[in-house]
Amino acid sequence: MPMPAAPLWRSRTTRSLLLQGGFALALLAAIVAATLTARANLSAQGMTSGFDFLWTSTGWEMNFTLLPAAPTDPYWWFLLLGLLNTLLMGLIGLGGASVIGLIVGLMRSGRNPAARFLATLYIELFRNLPLILQLFFWYALANALPNPRAALDLGPALLSSRGIYLPGLAVPYGAAIVIAAILLLGLALAIRVLAARRFARMEPVPRRVLALSLVLLAILASAAIALATHPPGTGWLSLPQPRGLRIDGGIRVQPEFACLAIAIMTYGGAYVGEIVRGGFKAVGRGQLEAARALGLSPWQVFSRVRLPLAFRAMLPILINQYVWLIKATTLGIAVGFSDFFMVIASSITHSGQTLELIGILMGGFLVVNFSLAAVLNRLNRAIALKGHNTGGAA
Amino acid sequence: MDLTAPAIAIRDLNKFYGTFHALCGLSLTVRKGERVVVCGPSGSGKSTMIRCINQLEEHDSGEIRVFGTLLDDNLASIDAVRREVGMVFQHFNLFPHMTVLENCTLAPILVRKTPRAVAEALALKFLEKVRILDQASKFPGQLSGGQQQRVAIARALCMQPEILLFDEPTSALDPEMIAEVLDVMVTLANEGMTMICVTHEMGFARKVADRVIFMDKGEIVEEAAPAAFFEAPRNERTRLFLSEVLAH
Ligand SMILES: Nc1ncnc2c1ncn2[C@@H]1O[C@H](COP(=O)(O)OP(=O)(O)OP(=O)(O)O)[C@@H](O)[C@H]1O
Ligand SMILES: [Mg+2]
Repeated sequence: MPMPAAPLWRSRTTRSLLLQGGFALALLAAIVAATLTARANLSAQGMTSGFDFLWTSTGWEMNFTLLPAAPTDPYWWFLLLGLLNTLLMGLIGLGGASVIGLIVGLMRSGRNPAARFLATLYIELFRNLPLILQLFFWYALANALPNPRAALDLGPALLSSRGIYLPGLAVPYGAAIVIAAILLLGLALAIRVLAARRFARMEPVPRRVLALSLVLLAILASAAIALATHPPGTGWLSLPQPRGLRIDGGIRVQPEFACLAIAIMTYGGAYVGEIVRGGFKAVGRGQLEAARALGLSPWQVFSRVRLPLAFRAMLPILINQYVWLIKATTLGIAVGFSDFFMVIASSITHSGQTLELIGILMGGFLVVNFSLAAVLNRLNRAIALKGHNTGGAA
Repeated sequence: MDLTAPAIAIRDLNKFYGTFHALCGLSLTVRKGERVVVCGPSGSGKSTMIRCINQLEEHDSGEIRVFGTLLDDNLASIDAVRREVGMVFQHFNLFPHMTVLENCTLAPILVRKTPRAVAEALALKFLEKVRILDQASKFPGQLSGGQQQRVAIARALCMQPEILLFDEPTSALDPEMIAEVLDVMVTLANEGMTMICVTHEMGFARKVADRVIFMDKGEIVEEAAPAAFFEAPRNERTRLFLSEVLAH
């Protein structure tokens, strides 16, 4: 029986629209009023406001950038590079934390008592010390390393107070970035082919072949770029070599970057480890028994049933943790890593545009964290278990 | 696998949980095509016994052979037996992240290496047999308990097993759904499937069982054809149990 249409002022949709619209309007009015007052006050004190300073050159240097930067470059370029550094740190930090978390979480949910003990020790240690303390610890450790002349030799890598020196491909920097991007893209596409429902109807073997050829294609493309850009007549690997007071060749990872990355990975790994353990605990024993009874191998039980179900249980909590970890990268300022936060802080000292820069800082983090959460929430909705009768999930 | 050997031959089976003696020297032989109903009070070891047959539980001593294949430390023989022995659980245990169809095709594709198209055709055939074809693209959470259990039966059938084990398949179901599941089981029994069925559905036992087995405290106390079992139980414990079950 169709419901009789409610009068406009009594309809639920109209009401909620009015309510939300009113709220948005009030918020907007408050922001405009605050901006106008601040502007009036600032100009009364003879300070200029606005974003024109973004196009003036900074006059200082950044100690770590992915793309070239000089003191003559404008503020917006520095801010962009800072944001890029934060994103790189987020990518490495979250990636590392996830890998460590998966390993530690699996060790904790496993049957081996020694592994369980080690994992518990790890989690309790890294979770219960403040992150900034851990960061200072790693930084002190890095500073205590010998100088380049006496650098510790770890096979192909060198460890010194000036940073970690890794062997690199002997290609120009730009080519290296393109190669890294291509390899990441190939890997991401391959994972998508293996995991996405859209490809679920393919036979397992062609599906694996497709994923593998995507990776191979990426490797081939990378090899082609390397071949084209590699300076002929020199070695393919650029190995770090101590030369007097410095180290030549290889890739230098500055201590500030390495310490922050290690701190975020190990600290985040402890939290992610607990989330992973919780996820595996939430998987019903019945589903695993059913899979075993059907004759699936231990690896198939893990990859087809246990991990997918555990992942669904952990994802909502992981999203919070990831957003939290991205915000934690701002601690880099404590050791002098030029992330977004630090670039903003330096810009404030040099330009005096405090309000504008803090606005940019907040906007930048909001955009980064909103996008991350939005992507992960979409994934979460896409894979959420359908229906309410999911029976025996405990 | 030797299909001329007895489907299941258990000799002197012992199983301990810690110090608790769950199965005490149990022996049982089931011929191919035979339908055996197992009943007994809670905690008597019924689940433990049938879970030993596909090694969801490891036994401590004694011998279990499935079509002649001895279940020992050899993982290959466990795999071989699991391919031929399907199991239906009390709580269905469907994979909630897969559609009904995917639930049914997973094992045939991964374990039997059946091409997907063939596995899907087979799955649709068995889903039709359990009268749930129209739900093939739904997820388990979107089905009623009775429907889920019928999917679980279809999932087991898709491996085309020689033997089906049922562990109280109807005891988690509302009364009106029990009949639809039992109907399917009767059909399977009439087609000559070898079945071991733990259940307290005595009507089902009377209708299809070749043999009814009564267990108590980890032992088989009585086994007989259904008529003899229900009309003239010889053992005191059986009589007590039957009077309790049939009183409901
Ligand atoms: N994993 C286990 N650890 C310890 N004891 C167990 C375990 N599983 C079963 N038992 C014990 O073994 C005995 C037999 O259990 P089993 O599940 O086989 O009984 P059942 O006959 O199936 O009972 P029900 O009708 O309640 O399902 C019970 O006393 C039970 O407490
Ligand atoms: Mg039981």
